[in-house]
Amino acid sequence: MPTPQLIYLLTGCALAALGLFGALAHVSLLQRVMALNILGGGVFLLLIATAWNGPGAPADPVPHALVLTGIVVAVSATAFALALGRRLRETRDE
Amino acid sequence: MSNLLAGIVALPLAAALPTLVWPGAGRPLTLAAAGLTLAATLLLLGEVAAAGTVTLVPGGWTTGLGIVLRADGLSAVLLAMTAMVALAATLYAGRYFAGDPAERHFWPLWLLLLTALNALFLAADLFNLYVTLELLGLAAVALATLAGTRAALEAALRYLLVGLLGSMAYLAGVALLYAAYGRLDLAGVAAAIGPEPAAAAALALMFAGLLLKTAAFPLHFWLPPAHGSAPAPVSAALSALVVKAAFYLLLRLWLDLFAPVAGAGVATLLGALGAAAVLWGSWQALRASRLKLLAAYSTVAQVGYLLLFFPLLAALPPGPAREAAFGGLVLLALTHGFAKAGFFLAAGVVQRHAGHDRIAELDGTVQRLPVTSFTLALAGVALIGLPPSGTFLAKWQLLSGAIGAGFWWPVAVVAVGTLLACAYVFRLLGHLFGNAVQPAGRRLAGEELPPLLLALAAAVALGLFAAPLWDLLAPLSAPGPRP
Amino acid sequence: MSGPPGLLLDGLLALLLLGLAAAVITSREPLRGVILFIAFGLLLALVWARLGAPDVALAEAAIGAGLSGALLLAAARDERGEAAQPSTGRPGTVLLALLAAGFGLVLAWALAASLPAADPVRLAGAVAEQLPRSGVTNPVTAVLLNFRAYDTLLELAVLLVALLGINALGAERPAYGPAPALLSGLAGWLVPLLLLTGAYLLWAGAHAPGGAFQAGALVAAAGVLLRLAGVRAAGLPAGLPLRLAAAGGVGLFLAVGLAVTLAGNAFLQYPADAAGLLILLIESAAVAAIAAALVIAFLGGEPERWSPPRDRSRSGEA
Repeated sequence: MPTPQLIYLLTGCALAALGLFGALAHVSLLQRVMALNILGGGVFLLLIATAWNGPGAPADPVPHALVLTGIVVAVSATAFALALGRRLRETRDE
Repeated sequence: MSNLLAGIVALPLAAALPTLVWPGAGRPLTLAAAGLTLAATLLLLGEVAAAGTVTLVPGGWTTGLGIVLRADGLSAVLLAMTAMVALAATLYAGRYFAGDPAERHFWPLWLLLLTALNALFLAADLFNLYVTLELLGLAAVALATLAGTRAALEAALRYLLVGLLGSMAYLAGVALLYAAYGRLDLAGVAAAIGPEPAAAAALALMFAGLLLKTAAFPLHFWLPPAHGSAPAPVSAALSALVVKAAFYLLLRLWLDLFAPVAGAGVATLLGALGAAAVLWGSWQALRASRLKLLAAYSTVAQVGYLLLFFPLLAALPPGPAREAAFGGLVLLALTHGFAKAGFFLAAGVVQRHAGHDRIAELDGTVQRLPVTSFTLALAGVALIGLPPSGTFLAKWQLLSGAIGAGFWWPVAVVAVGTLLACAYVFRLLGHLFGNAVQPAGRRLAGEELPPLLLALAAAVALGLFAAPLWDLLAPLSAPGPRP
Repeated sequence: MSGPPGLLLDGLLALLLLGLAAAVITSREPLRGVILFIAFGLLLALVWARLGAPDVALAEAAIGAGLSGALLLAAARDERGEAAQPSTGRPGTVLLALLAAGFGLVLAWALAASLPAADPVRLAGAVAEQLPRSGVTNPVTAVLLNFRAYDTLLELAVLLVALLGINALGAERPAYGPAPALLSGLAGWLVPLLLLTGAYLLWAGAHAPGGAFQAGALVAAAGVLLRLAGVRAAGLPAGLPLRLAAAGGVGLFLAVGLAVTLAGNAFLQYPADAAGLLILLIESAAVAAIAAALVIAFLGGEPERWSPPRDRSRSGEA
């Protein structure tokens, strides 16, 4: 009997795989950064899905805090990577 | 419970804030912070030597709820090395960046790099390690971009993406471990772990990420361009410290956490990668046309030597032989840290004065920069492993341990690697000490002193004073959960 | 909603999520990819809400979809007009696909083997037990700002490093021109609302979903909106106050953490009766730092130079 948890765990694994593929296969920085974010999303989904305790019960708050931290770290890295890419493009045009 | 651990992390972090707000005060503040941090790490070393381990849980929460900070012999000596190398590089950087508009960006990032290193060595919590890895990676890349050249920026971007990939693999492993064992602290997970699929998968993922970050062959491709084009003090920190931190984590997890899961197969795989790294890295260093590229490939080779210890440690049962091998491993890591840092700083001096770092055109440098040439020679001695350097002792331990355990292939690899190292070092020295006539030499410039001291530490001090290190590290060589 | 209708909803969400992710990965045009990515982020936020993680849902919507999306859109705008980049050749792509598939399968296998036997409580029991002593009643805030506050301190340092790295790379992007009246008018309404909602989330984070990160993201969104509407420095103060705001998040956190050690406590061990107040204090400073960092990330660099206060008159013009 599939539960929501099972569905989301499988989705998380699939997202992680998609993200990894995108990060490795692409050449454009923008696509790589988005792929890395999707990979992160997949791993976060695994954490949150294992923390879920059913529709009524409160979930385990520790993975929620971890994922929150992870989201902020991801946006910091994304911002820096994009700025670096932009600077590279500028030096090419100089 | 010792707040000294928090102090070691808080010091560089606190110092970074005023350097960000008042850029002009960067150099003195950083110097003060580096000096104070060194004092703190030496204090910690004393405490660890007396008590064995020192822990702290920020917030005072226990039972796995809080984050555990832990210092034992291994982390304490690595912290001390980091503080010493950082102080020397800070002294050098003050002169290197003088007048450079990038200087005001350097100091806060440099202090944050130190914070990340200290936090990583002290962390005993799986997710906290992830955050420190990310902090370390971002700070390292940001520092590497300060050179401003297109090559540096390209290499930095590749380094960033590779680092992010490695961190994600590591985080996936953490997610698996938490799902399976319900704890985030190393001790808690180590107590519950067994040879199960989740543990094996987490091992594979986390090690893949960390091997990427420590530039283990064949995942080393990002290192030579990044270390080769960064500013000299940054290259020194990257090769000597940042790469070492990822290796430390590999060792720590293998010893403390994954002991029931990691069989001989994993250790042999790591050893095989190490052998390939030694041979490939040394060969590429021989063919390198630039001084900094030579140094970067030499780092790849040295990481290989470190990895060669894994099959040895796996094969030896807990006892004096294993302790000696473990001591050799740490000594090699320390010596390489000092030697490579000294080498990169000296290379920076050469590059500043010659305007380039192409080895073939460095003939007769000894006449213009005698002290720096001597520094490069000393560092080379430490990289090859001639006595009395720490590398000599470490390689001796590796060879005698391997022979004693019945492995012959590490002997061959070390022999070939050392020969190649002799070749690339002597090729460099041949140019430096060559006979082309050059303008008259200069007095010792202030910036030549830090690399000289680092190289002396590597080539002489660590080899001669290794005995206390052995005593400090002996109890740590056995695998299994820590108290 | 549980049972078959809930399962249907979850199945649909999962399929949509995967479809959007696949679309992002395979899209050729940068702009289309980014828009699909923003949709992906918003859907992910919905999934977080479905899985009982409202704090994460708020953060994902504001940061993961919103601000990341804004950053990516700005980058796609820079790339506009460039030729589409080719991917790797055919055999390489197949190998990579196999590697990625293997990665996903390893994850699935590990979870399938370990979850049935694993203790479902994990650390939640310890959190529930210690929650009354944490100073707040929202367990996620308690974990973030008290039990695992050291992680959050380092995470603020990560934001700071990203900020510094971006500043070191060079000047900000060229500004947008003055916006059409519709956008300016909308901004005039939305910015105060965003700031107010941010302040509310900061306050509410102690007992309801919310907190410093979500609030900081909303304030940053206000800044981004101002920038898009043509306000020169996105409403940020230039020079010293900006640097103080950026450094203040980590600074206050450290100060509190170290101050409590003077009373003989461990680092970051708040006294139980003052914990709530200290957490609010730390979060307030963190909101300013997070907002400053995220807006500067969107700007692409330091707004104008790190200049002395007399330049503030220029930034107030637009």
